[in-house]
Amino acid sequence: MTEKQGQSPEKPSGRRINRKDFLKIGGAGLAGAALLGVAGCGGGGGSSGGSGQIIFSFGPDTSGSLKKLVDKFNKQNKGKYTVKYREMPADTGQYFDKVRTQFQAGGGDIDLIGGDVIWPAQFAANGWIADLSDRLSDSERSKFLEGPINSNTYQGKLYGIPWFTDAGMLYYRKDLLEKNGFKQPPKTWDELSQMSDKVQKAENLKYGFVFQGSQYEGGVVNGLEYINSYGGKVLDPKDESKVVIDSPESAKGLAQPRSFIQDQVAPLAVTNYTETESQTTFLNGDCVFCRNWPYMYALAADPKQSKIKTNQVGVAPLPAGSAGSVSGLGGWNFYINAASDSGKQDTAYEFVKFATAPEQQKFRALNGSFLPTLKELYKDKQILDAVPVIKLAGEALANTVPRPISPAYSDMSLKMAEEFNKEFKGDVSPQSAVKTLQKELQQIADQAS
Amino acid sequence: MASATATGGSKTNLNTILFYVFLILFVLVSLFPLLWVFKMSIVTKSDLFQSPATTLIAPPVSDNYGTIFSNPDFRKALLNSAIIAGVTTVICLFFGAIAAYAIARLRFRFKSAVMTTILALSFFPAVAIIAPLFVLFSKTGLINTYWSVIITDTVFALPLTIWILVAFFKELPKDLEEAAKVDGATTIQAFRKVIVPLAAPGVFTTAILTFIFAWNEFLFAATFLFDANTQPVTVAIPNFATVYTVDYGAQAAAAVVVTIPLVILVLIFQRRIVSGLTAGAVKG
Amino acid sequence: MTTVSREKKRGWFKEEFGNPERRTAYYMVLPALLIILIIAFYPVLSSVWLSFHQATLTQTGSFNGLENYTELFKNSDFLDGLFNTVVFTVVSVFLEFIIGLGIALAINRAFRGRGLVRAAVLVPWAFPTVISAAMWRLMFQDQVGVINTIANNLGIISEPILSDRTLLLIATILVDVWKTTPFMALLLLAGLQTIPGDIYEAARVDGANVIQRFFQITMPLLKPTILVAVLFRTMDSYRAFDLFWVMSNRQLESLSTFVYKGVRISQLQFAEGNAAAVFIFVTAFLLALFFIYGLGMQTSTED
Repeated sequence: MTEKQGQSPEKPSGRRINRKDFLKIGGAGLAGAALLGVAGCGGGGGSSGGSGQIIFSFGPDTSGSLKKLVDKFNKQNKGKYTVKYREMPADTGQYFDKVRTQFQAGGGDIDLIGGDVIWPAQFAANGWIADLSDRLSDSERSKFLEGPINSNTYQGKLYGIPWFTDAGMLYYRKDLLEKNGFKQPPKTWDELSQMSDKVQKAENLKYGFVFQGSQYEGGVVNGLEYINSYGGKVLDPKDESKVVIDSPESAKGLAQPRSFIQDQVAPLAVTNYTETESQTTFLNGDCVFCRNWPYMYALAADPKQSKIKTNQVGVAPLPAGSAGSVSGLGGWNFYINAASDSGKQDTAYEFVKFATAPEQQKFRALNGSFLPTLKELYKDKQILDAVPVIKLAGEALANTVPRPISPAYSDMSLKMAEEFNKEFKGDVSPQSAVKTLQKELQQIADQAS
Repeated sequence: MASATATGGSKTNLNTILFYVFLILFVLVSLFPLLWVFKMSIVTKSDLFQSPATTLIAPPVSDNYGTIFSNPDFRKALLNSAIIAGVTTVICLFFGAIAAYAIARLRFRFKSAVMTTILALSFFPAVAIIAPLFVLFSKTGLINTYWSVIITDTVFALPLTIWILVAFFKELPKDLEEAAKVDGATTIQAFRKVIVPLAAPGVFTTAILTFIFAWNEFLFAATFLFDANTQPVTVAIPNFATVYTVDYGAQAAAAVVVTIPLVILVLIFQRRIVSGLTAGAVKG
Repeated sequence: MTTVSREKKRGWFKEEFGNPERRTAYYMVLPALLIILIIAFYPVLSSVWLSFHQATLTQTGSFNGLENYTELFKNSDFLDGLFNTVVFTVVSVFLEFIIGLGIALAINRAFRGRGLVRAAVLVPWAFPTVISAAMWRLMFQDQVGVINTIANNLGIISEPILSDRTLLLIATILVDVWKTTPFMALLLLAGLQTIPGDIYEAARVDGANVIQRFFQITMPLLKPTILVAVLFRTMDSYRAFDLFWVMSNRQLESLSTFVYKGVRISQLQFAEGNAAAVFIFVTAFLLALFFIYGLGMQTSTED
């Protein structure tokens, strides 16, 4: 048994000796070895010198385009740099947890993190990720979409480089709308409600409209979209330490999804829907409208995943509230581990430059429908023709609003997820939901500063 | 019920029938969810979300099994799980059995203190101590090796192992080992030659419990293991997903595949337990 | 720390080591004890230490006594988690014990297909919780959930199971019962096997019926096993994490999910999370003491 263990795959050099010693001692000596280890090598983890090899973490690469990208970079820089891709959990919460544990334990060995758009403030506030302000010149910065750049900015400094982006969109059944005399998708939430009601009854569909109302990060994005589209805000744009969510606008915003559920435009079950459930409801032809991210468009083309066809699906910006149409901003960025030595940080940035260059972003747009973060690519004819949803997403991207940027965002998110979910279910009124959140979020904001 | 050993007659026949009806019912209830998972694994993604749920099975498809077996990481994960759970079981039983024997049979002063310590530390919620453990394993170079998970699994499985084994050892007749000692055997020899074979059924029960505990463990494995070379199935299966959606079909298929070796294993161990049983108190 | 306590014991050690049997006993216990101490002792201690400080993620901060604990009892999420956990533990362990005992008694005899039945019984438990919880969630779900559909058709429920916290808690309990009853049954079965058959024979000769034999022989002799099985199940349920987190998709708080949020997600509730962990630890320990002294559980340390 012990020998089998010995074959366990090798990890960063320099650690091998410890481990072998450990194996030799084995058994009861285990305890002593562990103690010696603690006393002996008290330094921070993961600083063993590799010749330009860095570790890059990201979620599972189902499209396969990421591995191709990494291989290409490694081939181009043969002998100079090597990037090793480390697969992280698909679930963003678990991924966050894993990275955070490593930072908490002194940095870990990941040099480059492909991370969620909501992470940088918390990581930056703890000094865990490197300030990239000096690496990206103003002229380069202006080539990127504004939303993603803003979400990477914390206290005036840039902590991440936008890799690909995401925006909430409205999917609708083009065929059914036309059949029932609607030429255009709904422009406002009220219109959506009326259309949905009519089409659902006429077509005898199970549901009208589905979105993500579960108690999780996606539920927060959905809730904020309603609040923002009615002019409500979480933080004061002039003073980000001030919570201003308790406003008639916010309450009106939250009242919207609740009225969908009350009027049975959306099922009560939507309060435990994530992307998967909304997606399958829509693709099974069980509803008229669905709020989801751009990824869903491509799935309609796969008959094994979808009972409806691409030509039955329309995509539009989300309907407007009294303050216009607002899409929640999603997406993923590159963050560099501040604990990595400077050589590795440089190598990591080389890869960032490579991966965010137009050529590579275009490759990922064509192979996996990832939305580019460079403005120029939204004019690229080849992309727009091959991936129509990117063209449509372009409009939605103009209206994106990022989630609150705060080092305590994860705390705020937990509270918002809970309160929004309660409000969707009707356990609390919109007014009391925003009142509760005002108190709780302000408390968090005060503690954080 | 159990104590009523069969003694012929028509009453017994009725009892036997009732007994089997009860058994079948019980087995069905425990297996139904798994059969449903199996059903989920052989339909297409869109049929999986067919609404309302139906027991009808559209022509079965093997797509999901294709997905998981074309993934080399999944095959490796099966092996990793087997290694982690297997080694944990062996270590746990080895250290657990000798400690349990000492507690059950030998006299020494700090027995209660030892027992209390073993028990108490296992009451701590695992989620709270993961970060310090991560530091410990990073510094000792154990991070991302099987050992990191084997050691933590062992720590959390040992208390139960020791408790069960102590109970088993206490029940064994003392005269046999005393006879062995009279014949000149040392404590250790008496333990190995007399106690271990006698306690076999208990040891196998404990082995199964420990193995399954380690096989199921998720939190430590997800934290301490970084890549497909070391990650067990509990970490690999949830990754049949994208950042947006979960591939429930593939997860169901993977769950089915993961369960099969365990069923086989349990069946194999079962024989040993049964043979231990028939030698014991209850004879049919 | 371990060396310090060992120094203290040195005086005793000499006396104890004079006796070869005792010496052997220490050698035999030491490895298991060391593994547990080395791995768990420091992290547990550091958690306890942090719980008395204004600790943040990166700093221990200043000492603030019991403030984290008093804050804890003002935190509605924590109280929610405490309530759910207590209900979950009491109900699920009770059901598991009753059903598990029934199964153990039933299969503690020779019959055809015994091996198969025992294997079948163990399968739910062998199913990794993170996976089975996700699968169960699907079965409770409104669109594809077979259980939701059945319950709906039978008129048992009027709204989707996953949208209602009470139903969700019931569902979570049922899943736990499904999953861990086999564990209970197996432990109890192991206990039953240590009861010699001739005691029953003797009782039968004395004219005791099945029920009398059960309460006069089986239960008293099984008591040590029952207490151990129930204690370990209680401890597990009390610290349940995976099941709550995955099954309810974070909607249902348990003590452990509260700790998890505080220690591993939140930026601000780090100290409170540690305090909650210590709370679980201490209450679990008190519970164990109650089993030992209150219910007379044998710790197997008496000779």
